Amino acid sequence: MPKIKIIEDDISLAKELKELLENAGYIAIETKDFSNIYEEIQKEEPNLILLDINLPKISGEVLLEKIRKESNIPIIMVTSRNNELDEVLSMSYGADDYITKPYNPTILLLRIKAVLKRTDRKLDKIAYRELEIIPEKGSLRRNKEEIILTKNEMIIFLYLFQNQEKIVTRDELMTDLWNNNEYINDNALTVNISRLRKKLKEIGYDDAIETRKGQGYILHE
Amino acid sequence: MNKKEYLKDKWLTILIILVNYFIILLILFAFKINVQATLAISGLYLIGFMFILLIEYLNKRTFYQDFKKKLDSLDQKYLIVEMLQEPNFLEAKILIESLYEIDKSMMEKISEYKNKTQEFKEYVELWIHEVKLPVSSLTLITHNHKTDDAKKILEQIHRLDNYLEQILYYVRSENAEKDYLITKVALSKVISNVALKNKDILLEKNIDFIVSDVNIEVMTDSKWLEFMINQIIDNSIKYSKGKNSFIKIVAKEEKNRVDLAIYDNGIGIKEEELPRVFEKTYTGSNGRNNKNSTGMGLYLVKKLCTKLGHKVNIKSKNNEFTCVIISFSKDNYYQVLNK
Repeated sequence: MPKIKIIEDDISLAKELKELLENAGYIAIETKDFSNIYEEIQKEEPNLILLDINLPKISGEVLLEKIRKESNIPIIMVTSRNNELDEVLSMSYGADDYITKPYNPTILLLRIKAVLKRTDRKLDKIAYRELEIIPEKGSLRRNKEEIILTKNEMIIFLYLFQNQEKIVTRDELMTDLWNNNEYINDNALTVNISRLRKKLKEIGYDDAIETRKGQGYILHE
Repeated sequence: MNKKEYLKDKWLTILIILVNYFIILLILFAFKINVQATLAISGLYLIGFMFILLIEYLNKRTFYQDFKKKLDSLDQKYLIVEMLQEPNFLEAKILIESLYEIDKSMMEKISEYKNKTQEFKEYVELWIHEVKLPVSSLTLITHNHKTDDAKKILEQIHRLDNYLEQILYYVRSENAEKDYLITKVALSKVISNVALKNKDILLEKNIDFIVSDVNIEVMTDSKWLEFMINQIIDNSIKYSKGKNSFIKIVAKEEKNRVDLAIYDNGIGIKEEELPRVFEKTYTGSNGRNNKNSTGMGLYLVKKLCTKLGHKVNIKSKNNEFTCVIISFSKDNYYQVLNK
């Protein structure tokens, strides 16, 4: 389970952020003492850091530079200062992403996932049951059988796949689609899901996607 | 200054000279001085005074004509003090010294206000960043503790954030100093950010969001552009008609510019109101029917566009459509700077 370090001095915000991350299945660690964050990080060895720019005692940018000198740990800058210069500077110091407050929580989670995936290259070959998933070709393969998914169907399938056995809300799916520049509406989402379900049914996975009324969908292992 | 004006100004001097001359003539008569001597004295007396007046006239004329000419040609009138030559008569010296003092005190006053404005601006920016913290907390709390009213609360948070952005960019646009950074920006990325920001309200209101051909890079400040597109889309959402509403975003590459068009099939703008929509706090009849209108959105779009060197145009037909087009020039100068 990936460990995420929250470096944020606003107590209420840090608390809610921790809850959000824990609900999403991460281990979240708050920062208590801002005078030796650097040592704390070395001891805790998190998989990712959410770093605020305005911090007491030390500037986020300075800290970012300091961490980058020693390690490649993924860092997402989270800040309320939304200007181009800060973003360009942060990226040039080696931040992996830059998010401005107030952020959409679902998007924050998507970005975290994306950064973690980018840095963790072990997951080259991915498979669902006997199906090999080839996202760039939009295909699911089982021996010689092949199902071709549209771009939207693939986005939906991948999201469900990454959250297997968990309820995925329509809003999460919608956010992921929009995040991938597919600005579809509610009806289109319904159509896409039923098409995906039909395609999975055709190769015998009748029970793959379960609908939970008023909650969302689950992809079963 | 001409001769007539000068003589009119000097009437008292001339009167005294003439009265004195008359008295001198009476005295000369009384002592029975002969005619030749009287003429010689008259000549010396009158010519002497005429000579004094003439020299003074020429001196003053040179100075004041130069002064007037320079003042007329100056754009910033207060700079006149720096441009004058050292005069050779007392009044002008006093004038220049006074002007210098006046300028100096005015400059002090101006810089005092400038500092105050700068401090105010810095405080407002800081304040906005502080307020964004509780706004972020609220968003997270609403997300973490799902209630039935979550949608309503998020909608209000969205509005709050929108107003915060407006004041932030108002402050930034009023600032004389350069507050932006021009880089190569992918239009698709900026549009994606705006889309995600407005996703919930677009879905809620059933407005289709159609984006095509935006895989183009332009030279701009991505944050400023994001704000501008957000303002335009905010209007499109606010003034949508209900059924079958859509917002369409298309980019088109021309020979020396890129046009980004944001089109909606909303209630449109009346023809007579169209020329005024970029004016500050102008709300028009649409705005007056909609309480949430501030009349600042398009004003800021225009202002930021001008600062960044982009052009913005609006076309509309009442009850049919509105289309805002931002044009980015493909300026080589920017590209050189960024190499």
